[in-house]
Amino acid sequence: MNGYRAYYVGVDMGSAFVKAVLINRKQIMAHEILSSGGHYKETARKVLDQMLSKGRVNFAELSGIVVTGIGAESAPFQARQISDISCQAAGCRSLFPSVRIVIDIGGQFTRAVKLTPQGKIANFLMSEKCATGSGRFLQVIARILRINVEDIGPLSLKSQSPVEFSTNCAVFAESETISRIAEGARMEDILAGVHRALAAKAAVLVKRLGMERDVVLTGGGGEDSGLVSAVSEALEVDVLVPEQPQLTAALGAALLAKEEKSGTR
Amino acid sequence: MHFAGVDIGSTMTKVVIVDGDGAMMASVIGPTGAEHRHLALAVMDETIKKTALRFEQLDFIVATGYGRINVPFADKQITEITCHSRGVRSLFPTARIIIDIGGQDSKGIKLDTEGKVMNFVMNDKCAAGTGRFLEVIAETLGIKLTEMGELSLKAKDFVRISNTCTVFAEHEVTSRLTEGATIPEIVAGLHEAFAGRVVNMVRSLGIEKDVVVTGGGAMNIGLIKAVEQKVGFRVLVPSEPLLTGALGAALLGKDLLARGVTPERKRRLEGVTFFK
Repeated sequence: MNGYRAYYVGVDMGSAFVKAVLINRKQIMAHEILSSGGHYKETARKVLDQMLSKGRVNFAELSGIVVTGIGAESAPFQARQISDISCQAAGCRSLFPSVRIVIDIGGQFTRAVKLTPQGKIANFLMSEKCATGSGRFLQVIARILRINVEDIGPLSLKSQSPVEFSTNCAVFAESETISRIAEGARMEDILAGVHRALAAKAAVLVKRLGMERDVVLTGGGGEDSGLVSAVSEALEVDVLVPEQPQLTAALGAALLAKEEKSGTR
Repeated sequence: MHFAGVDIGSTMTKVVIVDGDGAMMASVIGPTGAEHRHLALAVMDETIKKTALRFEQLDFIVATGYGRINVPFADKQITEITCHSRGVRSLFPTARIIIDIGGQDSKGIKLDTEGKVMNFVMNDKCAAGTGRFLEVIAETLGIKLTEMGELSLKAKDFVRISNTCTVFAEHEVTSRLTEGATIPEIVAGLHEAFAGRVVNMVRSLGIEKDVVVTGGGAMNIGLIKAVEQKVGFRVLVPSEPLLTGALGAALLGKDLLARGVTPERKRRLEGVTFFK
């Protein structure tokens, strides 16, 4: 392989977003995220093209592509498939070598992965496919509160007394939110209540795996400062969050593509 | 002699008045608002007006349903399990399993051959398998909850809905629509998934004939057909499936008085003055 001129791509086709990362043998060159809206194939192609043009690399020049995520089957190009758990672990480990637990809070579920001190996957657990165990819960509540998803975190952090929901179902929590608002509950307390509920679900998974430090929080959930703080509180440890938490699996996929070709990380 | 049953459900408040023979004289179904107490009285008033009675002429009032503690003029509160069973058995003496599909919960009740409650199961934790599931998705599809049954019967085949969670199923339904599935096929698929969930829950009781379906869900013919498919035989549905709880409550009041239990008059009057 001739040094810098070797390029690798990782594509993560998640339930809500398709993410791609382009690396060479030394560093990340470009990345892209687009909402899939159920059209995996077209989105994946678009994400790949936009990212390659940002990185000024031609598709034909790529030395390896790895695709991962729930939509990996519908990838519109020839690529090796690797499980998102392996990719997530590889990506987080490259950013935080001390990581032992990865919590991934995505649009469809929450997952916790435990790594050995050597970075191998020891075990993993997933929440049920229930909106209350995923970022979707926040979207549902944010929608009726009419606030933007990116404002959720900062607002929630202002809360003095988080609301405790009487239900574990996002649909029932939605109606409960409406009556709580009518009773005068504050928006930040409701959001902080949702964060607590989500954090509690993540903490259950981590406890079942056996808590180890460090803990890294990835996925869309990592973008939400209120959720990060709630998870830290629930686990009684400061969780680490990558600068781009949605990209860790795609980054891991790219790294695994490189590893496969060159035999080194 | 006259007896009243008040059933405050999560979405509807139902009142039934029966005469000394247990025959239904009048009934009213109204929405359950946030103001339970006020509403229970309003629905009661309306029902009494349908008869030639005055409130004082009611010999016993039983309240049931999840809002039963909010009926201050009732002489007694009895759980909906007991009331449903009594009401259903009065209509169908052969009933052994009752499947009640309500607005925010669903339950299964098993009766012995004498009509005594042997066991029951309930889901009120998750919107899937409750009326709420269909309500949410009807809104997504832009159709009325009440037309879902007939619509689904038009489908030759159904679209499989793989998500249990209502929120995710809502999303799945939109994807299926964009892929070209028809609304009847989707609604048929929703009924199939719904019936599967409810019947699975009830199966833990051991299903025995006859099976009676009550609650708002019983007004949906497509859902009833799907339930029949799952249990493997025809089920029975009362002509007024929303009223069985209130009917049972009224009949239990009659039973109580016959056994010499005296109604708590004092409480009733206090309750009424409380609302002027």
